[in-house]
Amino acid sequence: MTRELSARRRAALAASAAAGLIAIATLLAPLSPELGAYARGLEFAVLAGLAITAVAFVVAIPLGTLSASGPRVFDALLRFVCDLFGALPTVFVAAVFWVWSSGTLSYVLAFGALRGLEQAWLLRCEIVRLEAEDPDSVPHGLGRTPLRPFLRRRLPAALGPLLVSASFTVAWLTALDAALTQAGLRPRVAMPTWGLLLGAPHPSPLPALLAAGSVALLTVALHALFRAPVKPNLLP
Amino acid sequence: MSVRAAIRRVLGGALTLVAVSVGMFWTAATYDARSVVRRASPFAELPVFFNDHPVGVRELAEAAVRQVARGRGSQAVAARLQLVRLGGAALPYVLPALDSLDPSSRERVALSLTPVAVRMEIASTDELSDGAQAVLFWTRFWQDRAIDFRAAGVRHLTTRLAERSIALRREDLIHIDTFALPALIEGLGEVSTLDDVARVQRLNSVLAHVTELPVRLEPGASLAQARAAVDTWRDFWELRGSEYAPLDGPRRLAATFVETQYGKWLAAVLRGGFGRTQSGETALALVQQGWLTTSFLLFVGLGGGFPLGVAWTRFERRSRKFVWRYASAIAGTALAAIPCATFVRAVSGSGAGFFGAACLVTLTTAAWVSRHLARSTMSQSVSPIAAAFSVSAPLGATYPPFVLSAIVLVELAFGLPGLGRTAARALAAGDVNAWMAASLALALGTLLLRQAADLIRPRAATPLGARAR
Repeated sequence: MTRELSARRRAALAASAAAGLIAIATLLAPLSPELGAYARGLEFAVLAGLAITAVAFVVAIPLGTLSASGPRVFDALLRFVCDLFGALPTVFVAAVFWVWSSGTLSYVLAFGALRGLEQAWLLRCEIVRLEAEDPDSVPHGLGRTPLRPFLRRRLPAALGPLLVSASFTVAWLTALDAALTQAGLRPRVAMPTWGLLLGAPHPSPLPALLAAGSVALLTVALHALFRAPVKPNLLP
Repeated sequence: MSVRAAIRRVLGGALTLVAVSVGMFWTAATYDARSVVRRASPFAELPVFFNDHPVGVRELAEAAVRQVARGRGSQAVAARLQLVRLGGAALPYVLPALDSLDPSSRERVALSLTPVAVRMEIASTDELSDGAQAVLFWTRFWQDRAIDFRAAGVRHLTTRLAERSIALRREDLIHIDTFALPALIEGLGEVSTLDDVARVQRLNSVLAHVTELPVRLEPGASLAQARAAVDTWRDFWELRGSEYAPLDGPRRLAATFVETQYGKWLAAVLRGGFGRTQSGETALALVQQGWLTTSFLLFVGLGGGFPLGVAWTRFERRSRKFVWRYASAIAGTALAAIPCATFVRAVSGSGAGFFGAACLVTLTTAAWVSRHLARSTMSQSVSPIAAAFSVSAPLGATYPPFVLSAIVLVELAFGLPGLGRTAARALAAGDVNAWMAASLALALGTLLLRQAADLIRPRAATPLGARAR
């Protein structure tokens, strides 16, 4: 039988990976301006990743729940909005966010809201799928879904896709930033991030390699954190 | 799927595409507006979606008359130039208004029209050098020739010139100057034979004269040259047309939408070819050049990435050792971090661009699919393939923007001539037509992928009491 890590140990693993990165960045930062940029990029990646994930969850959970269990019109509306925002590659939406937002914070919050919409649809689809696959497990009480069983049983079971999506947040943010830099769509005054290191040529490849490796490490740490335990075989 | 459901899907898709085009246009306008140096779009001065105060020739002429009558100054000079540019189209509003001005203002306005009279070949500069003389000339001109300034008559004159070249017919049109522009532009028509070339030549000579624009079409011009001239005049009319036509009644209402940046773009779309890009080619041609690269990457990403992702999940699930499970996750997510310019530079030699880009898109897709499957359906009783079908609807909703962003990124990094790079460059350069064509093509691809994902989703038997979706 495969040995699985407990949730607590996974959280400790993810936290130690992030702490290790921060320690390395702090040590390297004084050595050169580019390594200093790497350290500032790490700071941005961690803080922006957390902020985007938090905002996305705040937007996604009520919207997704309402769409799956609420009035039909709400479902249609969410689908339309998701189609609208999803029709364009996110890199172009990001370009507009940079122009439209007054600062880095509003850029990050707008991004979180955008990600929240996408995750709301994921949540809605997962709730509906679980309901269709295993209708007996759905607690119903005289035509309505009681709130407590919903929050205790159905919502945690449906959060999987959201967590996977959330674990890609840092990689996603960095990829978009690098693409914006390469396309020349990023404002020059915007704060230094890993996207700048990865998207623009630099004399030394070390900071870019460090940034790419750090993105991978953070993503893996997030995957480890959000990993679901393997369910036992349901069938003999 | 029933016919009704199919129709609903098609209508829903069309409605979404219209809404998306509005959003994209807003994107382009917002991005273009940030430029403090130069607004790239020729329509940048117009409102984006709604023009609450559309301006036609009447408003422009009346404003110019007021400025000229007021006296000297840079504004009066600009107003005089405006009157000369508007020419014959403004005369039905300027000449009847002369009587309402005081004598000195009247003379100033009449004198400012002297270049128009010279262009119309009805007087020389010497004849109109004196203010009183100019007033008398224009008053008599309007008494005699007001009847010529009727749309139906002008259309008749244009048709006659288009049919056959006689000097007198050309002069008749020159005598009414820019008032004939709508009919002349309409008369250009399609160019497919040498007769059409001759017609365009005749009309082009009048158009170039009345607008004073250097559009030449020499005798013996080819079909392509004639078409290019027609395109130039249509572009001019698209840009300046409203300044030579009055906005009355329904036209004023329509102008609230037509005289906007979005309305102008839509008109270019309806004309065909999605308008002209800054480099002069049609935006549709740009899409035709780019779609092959993007489709190739999308095909490789879908065709290679999904099976690889499913196989990945299967391996991860069967792996007995804990470390292998995490090793596959690490490999997947490390490759998902594709923006590594260093890595890109390492693999992008001459000819390696497509290969490297295809590998990155495939591996990114595989990583994305395997992570979703691993987290969503870790129950070992469900095969990864069945799981992939089961979660196709939510994945189909989120995968297209993800993979298209990845494709845009690799196209930019590897310098591949795809739709993503075209759209990114057009957005940066403020080339609205190129941006709209490329990004709408991408949006259409996204919507089709979503619909396809929704269609392949297996329909579970709807349980009693559960809501059908």
